[in-house]
Amino acid sequence: MIDEIRLRILQRNSVIQDVGAALLPKLFRGLPVIGDKPCPDGCKKCAEVCPTDAIKTDPLSIDLGLCLFCPLCEEVCPEKIIHYTNNFNLAVDKREKLIVTKETEAVSPEKASEKIKKYFGKSLKLRQISAGGCSGCELELNALSNVNFDMGRFGIEFVASPRHADGVVITGPVTKNMAHAAQICYDAVPNPKIIILFGACAISGGIFQDSEETERKFLEQNKIDLFIPGCPPHPLTLINGLLNWLDKK
Amino acid sequence: MNFLTVKNGEVFYRNEIEFLNRNDFQDSVLNALTSGYRMIGLFPVDKKNPNKIVSILSDSVSSSLYIIGCEIPGNKLEFESFANQFPQTNYFECELAENFGYKPVNHPWLRPVRKQNIILGNQLYKFFNIDGDEVHQVAVGPIHAGVIEPGHFRFQCHGELVYHLEINLGYQHRGVESLMLSANPNQRIILSESIAGDTVVGHTYAHCSAIESMTDTQVNLRAQLIRSIAEELERIAMHLSGLGGIANDIGFALPAAAYGRLRTLVINSLAFLCGSRFGRGLFVYGGVRFDFNDENLKQIKGNLEIIKKDISAINDFFFSSTGALLRFENTGIVSKDFAVKIGLVGTAARSCGIELDTRIHFPYGAYRYFPVSPVTLSTGDVFARARLRALEIDESLSFISEQLENLPNGKIISDLNKLRINSGVISIVEGWRGEIVHTAFTDEEGKILQYKIKDPSFNNWYGLSLALRKTAISDFPLCNKSFDLSYAGHDL
Repeated sequence: MIDEIRLRILQRNSVIQDVGAALLPKLFRGLPVIGDKPCPDGCKKCAEVCPTDAIKTDPLSIDLGLCLFCPLCEEVCPEKIIHYTNNFNLAVDKREKLIVTKETEAVSPEKASEKIKKYFGKSLKLRQISAGGCSGCELELNALSNVNFDMGRFGIEFVASPRHADGVVITGPVTKNMAHAAQICYDAVPNPKIIILFGACAISGGIFQDSEETERKFLEQNKIDLFIPGCPPHPLTLINGLLNWLDKK
Repeated sequence: MNFLTVKNGEVFYRNEIEFLNRNDFQDSVLNALTSGYRMIGLFPVDKKNPNKIVSILSDSVSSSLYIIGCEIPGNKLEFESFANQFPQTNYFECELAENFGYKPVNHPWLRPVRKQNIILGNQLYKFFNIDGDEVHQVAVGPIHAGVIEPGHFRFQCHGELVYHLEINLGYQHRGVESLMLSANPNQRIILSESIAGDTVVGHTYAHCSAIESMTDTQVNLRAQLIRSIAEELERIAMHLSGLGGIANDIGFALPAAAYGRLRTLVINSLAFLCGSRFGRGLFVYGGVRFDFNDENLKQIKGNLEIIKKDISAINDFFFSSTGALLRFENTGIVSKDFAVKIGLVGTAARSCGIELDTRIHFPYGAYRYFPVSPVTLSTGDVFARARLRALEIDESLSFISEQLENLPNGKIISDLNKLRINSGVISIVEGWRGEIVHTAFTDEEGKILQYKIKDPSFNNWYGLSLALRKTAISDFPLCNKSFDLSYAGHDL
């Protein structure tokens, strides 16, 4: 008993009290900002170096759905026009909102409808489907239940059975071999239900967008409620995205 | 013997490999296996030409890797299976059969590796089935009761006891090896980071070493040390994660929470260094992209201090709990004899008393100058696999502390030359889970012709199957977590 108490004291209070105000390391690559300076004539270095073709030039834009938040474009830009801030608020409700341009200062999801808030505002149970996820996203989703993030305090939890769930969180590019199982799992979730795409692979295929082993029909046929960009996304990106969307802040 | 002998990361020319006829090849490989060598690769040199294959064998006593080729003309791609005598080759043969249409003659049990229920191109594969009174079958997955990757498990049970467990994987197959051939250098590094998202540093290290060897690029000692420190941080983080998972699987909440808290400190340390909690973006060809400075050194050392202070109290509490030990001891045993036969690697092998650690036996990078001490346990049960990870955390912590105090100066990125033409390299790294092997061949233009990846999970899933024999099915989650294998790393 004494040992248990000693261990409990060591734990101290590790929970992040205000998940919206948490500060991530300076080097963490979150929301990119595109500076006002004009690009040098004909310079396409950032677009050329991007491993997923997330960058378009003239005018310069970055698609966060494809972006892997690697340091390449920022590193190669001669004018330091692209800069990744440590802002982890990246969740949105529509795919097109993930395009960051010069004008973008922040991205956020539209508040969910009254109906969704009524159904899921107080308690949201999610079933995760890993469909080719490399385990990076899975580790970050698991981290949401640890003592630091403690997502359960907001009434949001992962459950074992799709029958108990209000929605699915999909990770990975959706491989051919998992497409069928993912569909069965989604069908097993009772209505009304939501879909959250977690990570670049799920949103766009990411680095696997050209793979012949993926089958993304399922994602194209259903309405996606929330996009969580990143590779993998930080746990705070999902928590804050959900809290914003459900208007719980 | 006609083997080409190389060291870990030593570049060679493709024409140095001798390609024998089928019979001589079989004899040579059998000889090598009889001498106690371990198979670490069996695949064609060129994906488009399955007639020429190589077998790579490793000998940890001499720290050498042996390569021998075989050329089989015509359409009859057959060879006599080695697996009856040497079960460790079983899965390599299955993979060769599935990917390139080979037929291992007299193979004891040809199974699908990444395909679903199909072997030899189009034959339906049926799961092994036991009949009898009170015998029943339990099928689980691909989707499991938790936030984990997909895989299908078939248990043949008699009451509570598992007679046999068959594991069917491949759900995560994304075609990494194919993409490696068409990708540009930037994409290749990202792909390596995504082979298994829990072993970002391990796989990217193996990939970068392979490319650096083939371009004759020297990596500075400072960069090598930063790589090793990142690798050890990853090891500590995943061992903490595994121990937390094991605690969770026996319903022991306090240590689970405590290990989880410490893991956050470790992965945040990686983020202080390179911006990603998993070490993404750290590796570039020729070195590393991010360096230590006064600020991040202070943050990382601060975090490590807390871990050092707390970890022993948590370990003492966890490993002295009678309730926990009752679940761990004598559960899911793999004997040393079995482990050698099936070719286990990494933590799973070291828990059975096999001394096998790439950092020691095939030293690379900074480990050539700053060796780590080997850790082995002998009981081969869940206890050994859990306890070993706790001991390895201590070892890694002291490695990092020592190296952080003695970082040499120097550039962290060296310039990269062109890839050598018609060459090959075998790059092995000890990831936190075990031996990661990346083999690359280039063509006459210096483009990558073949890229083969072997995650430690490829060897060790079979170990989990065997560990479950005569074990209660209720102990499956615990056994599974104690092996802690990667689905994505296996499926590629």
